[in-house]
Amino acid sequence: MTRNRILFGIGVLAFISVIVTVRLGGFLVDNEYRQPDRQVAAQEEQGEAELTPRQQGIVDEQAADEAEARARPYEEAEYRAVPFVGSRVTVWVLAQLHLLFAAFVLAVPLFAFIIEFVGYVKKEERYNKLAYEFTKLLSVSFSMTATFGAFLTFGLIILYPKFTNYLMHIFSPTFLPYVLLFFLEALFLYSYYYGWGKFGPKMHLFLGFMLNIVGTAIMFIANAWLTFMMSPGRRDDVDGDGVPDFVSAVSESGALLSLRDAFFNFTWMPINIHRIIANVAFGGSIAAAYAAFRYLQAKTDEEKAHFDWMGYVGNFVAIIAFLPLPFAGYYLAAEIYAFSQTLGIQMMGGTFSWLFVIQAALIGNLFLGANYYLWLGMGRMEGGVHFQKFIKWLLIAIALCFAVWATPRYAISSVSEIAAMGGSSHPQLSYLGQMSAKNTAVNILILSTYMSFLLYRRTGRQSVHPHRQLLTRAQAIVFSSAAALVIFYGVYGYYVDAAIRIRFAIPQVYSVLAALVVITVIDLPLYRNAAQSGETKWGRMPAVSQYALIFIALSFTWLMGLMGYVRSGLRQEWHVYGVILDTSPDAYTPTLGFATQVVSVTVLIFFGLLGVVFWLSSLGGKKDWEPKPVADGRDQLEGGQAT
Amino acid sequence: MKLSVPMPLRLVLLVLGTTAFYMYLGQIVPQKEAHPPPPVLISAEMTTEDLVAVGAELASGKGQCLVGCHTVGQSGPLRYPDLDGIGARAATQIEELSGLEYLAQSLYEPAAFIVPGFADGMQAIDQPPISLSEDEMKAVIAWLQSLGGTPTVTLDTDLGY
Repeated sequence: MTRNRILFGIGVLAFISVIVTVRLGGFLVDNEYRQPDRQVAAQEEQGEAELTPRQQGIVDEQAADEAEARARPYEEAEYRAVPFVGSRVTVWVLAQLHLLFAAFVLAVPLFAFIIEFVGYVKKEERYNKLAYEFTKLLSVSFSMTATFGAFLTFGLIILYPKFTNYLMHIFSPTFLPYVLLFFLEALFLYSYYYGWGKFGPKMHLFLGFMLNIVGTAIMFIANAWLTFMMSPGRRDDVDGDGVPDFVSAVSESGALLSLRDAFFNFTWMPINIHRIIANVAFGGSIAAAYAAFRYLQAKTDEEKAHFDWMGYVGNFVAIIAFLPLPFAGYYLAAEIYAFSQTLGIQMMGGTFSWLFVIQAALIGNLFLGANYYLWLGMGRMEGGVHFQKFIKWLLIAIALCFAVWATPRYAISSVSEIAAMGGSSHPQLSYLGQMSAKNTAVNILILSTYMSFLLYRRTGRQSVHPHRQLLTRAQAIVFSSAAALVIFYGVYGYYVDAAIRIRFAIPQVYSVLAALVVITVIDLPLYRNAAQSGETKWGRMPAVSQYALIFIALSFTWLMGLMGYVRSGLRQEWHVYGVILDTSPDAYTPTLGFATQVVSVTVLIFFGLLGVVFWLSSLGGKKDWEPKPVADGRDQLEGGQAT
Repeated sequence: MKLSVPMPLRLVLLVLGTTAFYMYLGQIVPQKEAHPPPPVLISAEMTTEDLVAVGAELASGKGQCLVGCHTVGQSGPLRYPDLDGIGARAATQIEELSGLEYLAQSLYEPAAFIVPGFADGMQAIDQPPISLSEDEMKAVIAWLQSLGGTPTVTLDTDLGY
């Protein structure tokens, strides 16, 4: 008690000292030295003191500034600058942070709803519990999304006032629906989260469904704004000749011709599809990282088992969404080419071509990380050794594909190396840098990862289907045929013209997609009610597997940052491609080195904030604070005050 | 003695290490800042030779002909036709068009004739986002004529567009 009083006394003294010091400092600063002149003192008393030369100078300066401000006519600012960082980087970082949180907030309800629905159909409470665990992450993330959305909006209005005004001129009719939908999203999100266990299952599922519908609609509206900047027009067969024509949404001077064409522009739907899939992959990986974080903190076997399972489901969601993502990427790239060959060539063969080598490294790491986690996961089950002999072959296939995909067409070389090679491309390796090789590599990567997943799914299980041998062979034939087709088109692409070669990507993609669908359709009945040869031991994963999950989440985040940069940077010196020029000092494309620095800083800020989200979300599972009981049986509040 | 690194520190190291690795990748690839092409000045007294020089500048800058699309003097798998010799070849591409007319058509209406073996894809370069002026188009044509042929275009030439 005495100690507390002493501490309190010291605190009060310190507070008084600070106040006194501040006041004294203020007094000394405000009162200049004055000559001890009796006449001045007398004049001061009469209110007629003469100003010192310095004071006079200050007064004159203020008067001049005021006169200048009054004489200056009002001019609308086109751009404003941010010291040191620059306005472009400021908006870039704010937009990316907003987008990362928004992606997470849109993705989690999607798979939380699906998991809850599975639990409802299967009548298993554990699914319901898992879906709730995912949803816990939403509340704080939603606030972060809104906060960065507000930062971004103010950032645009302050730093790019003229251009923001132009976008408002085009899209103002969409703002009110956007705000109303945002309000509805908050309503559904909080009722979905806080209503867990309070509503009946059907009502709760309805809330989850509506949350997803509204969230997706919000994203579709925002996507129209950003895709308009890249492709301000729509494709339609206007003259009825069967060939799609370009229908510009704005005139050459930028005046709006059709809001419909501005909204449903060339790249709007490809971006919608790409973002839905990428958001789910990203959201799954972040949720898995949260589970890994909690797993590493877990004290009991029960906690470890729960978070191991959560991490597995999160990663499963991420990988399942990740597999079709390259196809969605192709669709987007094809639409960019269809809108403007110049834009497409800038992306793949011009200023940004080296960015795709970094992207290859990122995606290669994602595939490696995901497969590594699956292989480690086989250790959860008894009987896992049986399939482990296949892992080295899968690893070799993945490593080879990774190497092919990351091989650039033109090597980074010194002058002597260029002379030795006879050009900037390597005589043999440059063949691997062409699209034929890269398309083949990514398709085989997808097939290999799917194979890892199939092996994982079979570990510790034995099919009891009467035609199991036939069905398994059928799966093997489908798998091998798809791989053979992919390789055939990859090799054949070197022997045909460019116009034909480009089209080979389509049968490659379709054969892999068809294989994934057919094999899954066969696998479901094949392993329904399968005999368990051993028990799944959740919570027995080594710590390194959890770090792999966090590594996957990091790589996903970095990849999103990088691809966000290329999508936006493609416009180069245009605010709206081909219509509104950027005339600010930032109207140039920075080096890739600089861009990756900005992406890295953004990722670090995001993960710092994510740590706060994880910490706040984990508080929900902790015991409530309770007053400490004292010896005489009364509760004692903190600070020593007894009730 | 076994050195144990606390979990939070491991997480921080993982986050920093991974981010640093990806950032490092960004530093080792070729670095290039892409600035908007500088304005090209074309004055009334420019000769055909002057236009050829300006056209060459436009082809690799504002006109974007040589930025990932066409090449000059390359073989192998090409995205779009190599331009080497186009000055001589132009007159024989379409029977009813002279060399000059063919070159003008290929810039103003690139989809009107597609060289066999290549895909349609080029955009009219007098339209946004490239937006070459009429004089700049003449300069590009003069440069194309100079590739294996004799340039004839002047600023007074009527291109028919």
